[in-house]
Amino acid sequence: MAVATGGGVDGDVPRRLYADPGLPDRVFRAVLRGGGALVLAVMLLVGGFLLYRAWLALDKAGWGFLSTAEWAPDAGKFGIAAVLVGTVLIASVAVCVAVPLATGAALYISEYAPPRLRQTLISVVDLMAAVPSVVYGLWGVFFLQDKVIPTARWIAAYLGWIPLFDVDGADPADPLAPASVYTSSTFIAGLVVGMMIAPIVCSIMREVFSQAPAGEREGAYALGATRWGMIRSVVLPFGKGGMIGGTMLGLGRALGETIAVYMIISLVFDIQWHVLQSGTSSVSSLIALRYGEASEFGMSALMAAGFALFLMTLVVNFAASSIVARSRSGAAS
Amino acid sequence: MRPATRFRVGATLSALLSLLCALLVADPPPARAATYAKITGSGSTWSSNAVFQWTRNIKANMGMTVNFTDNGSSQGREQFKRNVVDFAVSEIPYGLKEQGVADTPPRRGYAYMPIVAGGTSFMYNLKINGKKVTNLRLSGPVVAKIFTGKITRWNDAAVRHDNPGLNLPARQIIPVVRSDGSGTSAQFTTWMAKEQSGVWNDYCRRTGRGSGCGMTSNYPLLSGSSMVSKSGSLGVSGHVRQPSGEGAITYVEYSYAIKTGFPVAKMLNKKGYYVEPTASSVAVGLTGARINNDKNSPNYLTQILDGVYRNGDARTYPLSSYSYMILPTKEEEGFTKSKGNSLGTFGRYFLCDGQQQAEELGYSPLPKNLVQAGFAQVRRVPGAPTSAININKCRNPTFSSDGTNTLARNAPYPKACDKQGPTQCSDGTAGDKGKTPVKPGAQGGDGNGGGGGGAGPGGGGANGGGSGPGGGSGGSAGPDSDGDGTPDARESAGSGGGGTGGGGGGAVDPDTGLPISGDGTGSGDTSVAATPVSLASGGAFGLRGALMALSAFLLLAVVVGPPVMARVLAGRARRRGEIA
Repeated sequence: MAVATGGGVDGDVPRRLYADPGLPDRVFRAVLRGGGALVLAVMLLVGGFLLYRAWLALDKAGWGFLSTAEWAPDAGKFGIAAVLVGTVLIASVAVCVAVPLATGAALYISEYAPPRLRQTLISVVDLMAAVPSVVYGLWGVFFLQDKVIPTARWIAAYLGWIPLFDVDGADPADPLAPASVYTSSTFIAGLVVGMMIAPIVCSIMREVFSQAPAGEREGAYALGATRWGMIRSVVLPFGKGGMIGGTMLGLGRALGETIAVYMIISLVFDIQWHVLQSGTSSVSSLIALRYGEASEFGMSALMAAGFALFLMTLVVNFAASSIVARSRSGAAS
Repeated sequence: MRPATRFRVGATLSALLSLLCALLVADPPPARAATYAKITGSGSTWSSNAVFQWTRNIKANMGMTVNFTDNGSSQGREQFKRNVVDFAVSEIPYGLKEQGVADTPPRRGYAYMPIVAGGTSFMYNLKINGKKVTNLRLSGPVVAKIFTGKITRWNDAAVRHDNPGLNLPARQIIPVVRSDGSGTSAQFTTWMAKEQSGVWNDYCRRTGRGSGCGMTSNYPLLSGSSMVSKSGSLGVSGHVRQPSGEGAITYVEYSYAIKTGFPVAKMLNKKGYYVEPTASSVAVGLTGARINNDKNSPNYLTQILDGVYRNGDARTYPLSSYSYMILPTKEEEGFTKSKGNSLGTFGRYFLCDGQQQAEELGYSPLPKNLVQAGFAQVRRVPGAPTSAININKCRNPTFSSDGTNTLARNAPYPKACDKQGPTQCSDGTAGDKGKTPVKPGAQGGDGNGGGGGGAGPGGGGANGGGSGPGGGSGGSAGPDSDGDGTPDARESAGSGGGGTGGGGGGAVDPDTGLPISGDGTGSGDTSVAATPVSLASGGAFGLRGALMALSAFLLLAVVVGPPVMARVLAGRARRRGEIA
């Protein structure tokens, strides 16, 4: 757009500038606006529908819905305290695993990889994102779980004094202690979900890193920086917003991940803080498990749980997009 | 392009087209396929192994498509109620109360039809000296206590009492239960509520379900226990079969244990024998089932299993039951006559020919009276083929000319060593038929416990006469006087007549043929394999701890060291520069 320039005699009001965009532009703008509005409308409708269907249950449960751990809607005792904690813990483990992995991969692809290898690596990472989640679930249950148990046992033995890593019923001194207490845990579900969100986080970070201005990079080199020095002083500060945004988007997906978690965890309705302990829960796997057999009221309760998850993901995603938009890299992109 | 080329291109194209057409014609779907409408159903994972086999067969033989989803009985009933599926498969009928809430019957017309019998079995993964145990025996109260968190170790006195021949390890028991609404849970908890009500009601109180949850499709979980919950029969059996599942036990239909190659526990029946849920022992057990024969009742043909739990026949498996299909009986909610034709044909197939495969799959075929009643129910399906079929031409292994259940009548009696007492059989069960060595003191005769018809004789062990491999006859089973039931190996060994050791307390080691002194319990299995165990820690500050600390320090140094060093060196250089 042209900048309005005041001109001429004192006291004159600047002339309003108007450029006729022309018919094609106007149509194009209307289509874009319509598309944007439609997306917003669909989201609002989803939220509205969930709230409408959940109202029956929410009305009956009241605030207890947030503090009850049990899930027996037909008996009148139900709440999302346990499933929400489980969901957040699984997502946190996933983010802890995925973010370092994704950062390293993104930095390697954008800064270190030889150009010929770069395209291959990018498509391999994208391919990882294209693997269906049920495949990740099967892999997690039948392959990863047995391999991870020794690690989980080690963490429990040496870091068990931290309440988060404590495992009830595990006695490190007992050679016959069952490996079962370490299976189906938040930790294993988080690892698998971490593998699933890593490609998304990685590709967002890679995009942002590759946008770091060439002038500043060369400036850093000119001042005698090594490549790592350049990355630390130019690429990472520039990409900070993108990194946070990518992480949050990954977190948003981790919160909603259903089928892989459903296959791995052993669903319990207790608030389970012990991430290595068998038995955890998540909102989406609760819904996947129970929707088929739910009565009308049970369905309403499941909708209420879904609504809570919807709100949580919405908040996370809005936070992510606002951080991305504020940052230098986000504004540029 | 010259005309000749164009012509050639055209010829190639038409040749290709005709080839395609020929391919389409060459492999047409069976001509009968068009006559059968596709039907869908969902429900029980308990009987899904049989239903899947039948759907495969009917697809191959008649070109009929039956889509069945094994998503659990609760979900099957709910989907039938919501008219999502044409039929459902469930272990329990509609209308049963759970936690005070009744499962309301559907508004559409429906009827129950028994489809197959089977045993809810206890599949486990347990090793002694690195070898899989295949001959575990459990009594009702022990099963109940295991699944209610009262017995938590495999070497609990009660478990050892059931298994005098096994050196059970001090391993924790991991009960694996179903997390979804399941007919298997319903069958199991019905038995718990009826036969083990004290333990069960106490457990319900502890889980916060209030006093006495009775029968329930959703197994209550005790917080803070070692219990694992998984969805679907495949989920629970898959958890048990993994290496990390050692020490786990779950309740599934017998066929899942056969499929995964794992053993099931032999269960103690009323007569004092430990029995495996084979087709014949299930058939014998179900002779005690009471079937609702009131044709006007909505629950016509459903089962009351109290008589099975307490069946006095020595060959009974107490947790036997039937599985049911829920059929639509009215042309409504998208159910048409052509679908009825498919469903009727499918029903007729599996009630008759399909039953032949039941045994090999891990189920038990239906007896004649239920097949007949089932046919009557199939005829109520609108559009079902009602043509008279000769039931006597059914090649069902239970049928006989005189109306008795052939399978049950010819069922073998349990071996003497399967009698409750100081002896234990070494034979494997279900999917793992490998033998498990038992303590010398607990080796019993291999002869059948009972001869002739009727129940096994009281002193079933008396005629056990399998000769020991090392000379001298093997210790015969404990005499009937062993009423106290204590696994007293000395008593058993002492009564083993004919051992070279002779007198009181003498016993023969079956592997060496030499008399062994003492009470005979000491040596156990001589073919010892090392048990790999992993200890997580051996003292916090041993060599191991020091090495771990060292490696952590080195890792930290590698990551943090270079930049810090660079900064320090740079700072020094700068300072020197300033001075200079």
